Amino acid sequence: MRFITMDIKKCVVCRNCEYACSFQHTGDFNRADSNIRVAYHDDIKICLPQTCMHCEDAWCMEICPAAAITKNEETGAVEIDSGRCAGCKMCILACPFGNIHFDKSNLISRKCNLCKGEPQCVAACISGALQYVTAGDSCRNNREIFQRFMATLHTPL
Amino acid sequence: MEKKQHYKSMCRMCNNHCGINVYVENGRVVNITGLKEHRWNHGRLCVKGRLGVDLVNAPDRLKKPLKRVGSQWQEIDLEQAYDEIAEKIKKIQQTWGNRAMGIWKGEAVGFLTQEELARRFAHAIGSPNYFSNDSQCYVGRWIGYALVSGTWAEPDFANAKCTVIWGSNPPYAHPNMTQSILQGRENGGRLIVIDVRLSAMARQADDFIQILPGTDGALALGLARQLIRDDLISHEFIKGYTHGFDAYADHAKAFTPERVEKETGIPAERVVDIARKIGNARPKVCIYAGNGLEHHENGINNVRAIACLDGLLGSLDEEGGNFIPEKIPLRSLTLYDEKPLRHLGPIGADKFPVLYDFRQECHTMSAMDTILTQKPYPLKGMVLTGANPALTNPNSRKVIQALKALDLFVVRELFMTETAELAHYVLPAATYLEHSELHTYPVCQSIGISPEIVTFPECDYDYMFWKKLAHRLGASHYFPWEDENELNQWILKDTGITVETLFDHPEGFKYKSRHFQKYKKEKFNTPSGKFEFVSDYLKGHGYSHVPEYIAPTYMSDPNPEYPYVLVTGARKLFYCHGRNRNFKRCRTAIPHGEIEMHPHDARQLGVDTGDVVTVTSSVGSVDIPVTVVPHSHILPGVTQITHGWKESNVNLITHDDRNDPIDGFPLMKSVEVKIKPKRQEDGE
Repeated sequence: MRFITMDIKKCVVCRNCEYACSFQHTGDFNRADSNIRVAYHDDIKICLPQTCMHCEDAWCMEICPAAAITKNEETGAVEIDSGRCAGCKMCILACPFGNIHFDKSNLISRKCNLCKGEPQCVAACISGALQYVTAGDSCRNNREIFQRFMATLHTPL
Repeated sequence: MEKKQHYKSMCRMCNNHCGINVYVENGRVVNITGLKEHRWNHGRLCVKGRLGVDLVNAPDRLKKPLKRVGSQWQEIDLEQAYDEIAEKIKKIQQTWGNRAMGIWKGEAVGFLTQEELARRFAHAIGSPNYFSNDSQCYVGRWIGYALVSGTWAEPDFANAKCTVIWGSNPPYAHPNMTQSILQGRENGGRLIVIDVRLSAMARQADDFIQILPGTDGALALGLARQLIRDDLISHEFIKGYTHGFDAYADHAKAFTPERVEKETGIPAERVVDIARKIGNARPKVCIYAGNGLEHHENGINNVRAIACLDGLLGSLDEEGGNFIPEKIPLRSLTLYDEKPLRHLGPIGADKFPVLYDFRQECHTMSAMDTILTQKPYPLKGMVLTGANPALTNPNSRKVIQALKALDLFVVRELFMTETAELAHYVLPAATYLEHSELHTYPVCQSIGISPEIVTFPECDYDYMFWKKLAHRLGASHYFPWEDENELNQWILKDTGITVETLFDHPEGFKYKSRHFQKYKKEKFNTPSGKFEFVSDYLKGHGYSHVPEYIAPTYMSDPNPEYPYVLVTGARKLFYCHGRNRNFKRCRTAIPHGEIEMHPHDARQLGVDTGDVVTVTSSVGSVDIPVTVVPHSHILPGVTQITHGWKESNVNLITHDDRNDPIDGFPLMKSVEVKIKPKRQEDGE
């Protein structure tokens, strides 16, 4: 099972991911319709992409009174069944990361569903900041980066 | 229902040429995704790439040849159109001479061969006048680097210890370069971005150096001085493989950190600091010069000054430096050896001989004057393919006036552009998904081919277009190949690679492994055979032999009437040059042009985001909405407008006649302007 990782040292806030996400479920390039959001914090010079982490014990899933939120066994995605969602916004309140959005035209909640295992935000990420990987891959990757960083401390730049 | 077909090809929505999957259903392209195995983009594809679907299926695509009758367009049979155009070309050439015809290549429709085909056609019909947008984009940097090292090397970002992105915004301009730049940084390299604006790339920079427009040469010379003083230079490279170091070092001496601060606005201590950071990373330093360095009065010398740093650092043709790719022996389609026509006076070659010497490019800005004044000789006809100079050349008013004055103006295009509207004939073109063409990726030393995926009956591809015209003009022997497949085979003949092999390698066929420091065995492609800190060739043409620095006019001779300096042409996510404005989806994302402005300037002018201002230079005025950007994004007094918007065309106010004296590039990125809020009562 894979999930989307975000490397804040690679994101350039080009917004390809936001537009790719919007396009995937609306056919248009409207950032407001995107389930992934990136922000550049000018004062602290940080680029921050943000999307659903598909928690194992998802608070949104637990709180949903309509039982509209379930875990997709195949992809591991926490998904909202648009047919069941009543638009009560409890999930939006429950998500501590602000990763659930409200679809103003259909009056229901909307979130990342990993595009059935082919996340379009990752495919459009030209900087390499977004990866779609297993937890094992991600940890190996971080370990390697950390090791390279340690190595540079010993070779003067 | 027919099954979905899958093709592997290359993207042409910008000039990055990423590998793509193209899916077709019932003869219609339905989806485009990134090709995982491709050497260049490794499966990632920006949203522009996906827009290829919109491009090929666009409802406003030109599908029928059109002829102007009075003020109306009339559909005309394709072969009839070719007949009529050929007759008119013949008549012009008989009356005014062969050189009265011009050929203009844009870059919107093809890959590698489109340019050479246009050059071939021009010479085949006896005219030296080949034009392209290159005489105001890209070639300035190419020549700047070629004057120093004989070529423009390719950056090897992924292996660099220090990358310097100078006047470029890869995330929007060359999206896929971003991956390798950040890869290099992940591997422990430092990223320095030198730019007028805090670009997308600058957001990840370890050091962001905000510079005043057009002053880059002073910084480059200041860095050189500091590197030499701190002895952070490659003595082996300088001693063994360079020409003119002493004169160059002597010239750089005057650029003390304090002087650089005065010229560029960069604090003196930062100049010293950056020089040390770059110097300590040598030779794995990768300096990439972007389009921001062109379009200034001293552009080419600024580029030369930057190119010289590679020699100081010994980073040229190094792993992790600027790598000189080895070429694949493709056969050339141009006729410059077979049928040289310089004696016919290619337009602009007298004024800007360096431009012609290095690139055999005629000067498009001079072409407009030639059409209007008939001096030095009449230029009466133009065949233009896939370009939109009415929007992208400086001084649009003059461009439109000139193109309208032609006796014959033929435009081959995908859409009815602002330029096509001025034509006598408009022929529909094929997109990059509708024909088979070669393309090389120098940095990976690989070559690819695009398959013909869909076709539209009257949309001829490049080769067919030129061939059909040439056959009607008695130049058929120059276009003997039946179709582009035969042509591709001919081009590949000396390489030992077949078209079939290339189709078997959609990931890009690697023709050679990379080798570094080739200069130890081979000479540089310069007159001295060495890396040239000074150019005797330029001296021979009456120019300074060192990369001299001349401050931009807005600095050296400020005009109180025009207190702001305007940069144009910064890239935006969805748009490539003048293209894509007709796609509805792009307009949702970025609906209109804008002038980017510092909050301080906005406050002084009493305007806010969305308010319309009139921006005026000595050339003209344009009305455009303001976007107030955060403080750090641009310096006070500096503004930016991206080109390509018909409704607010910035090229109405850029200069076609204030040129870099060496390569003739126009002044488009340090334009002196005044700005006035456009109040309601000022309107109509």
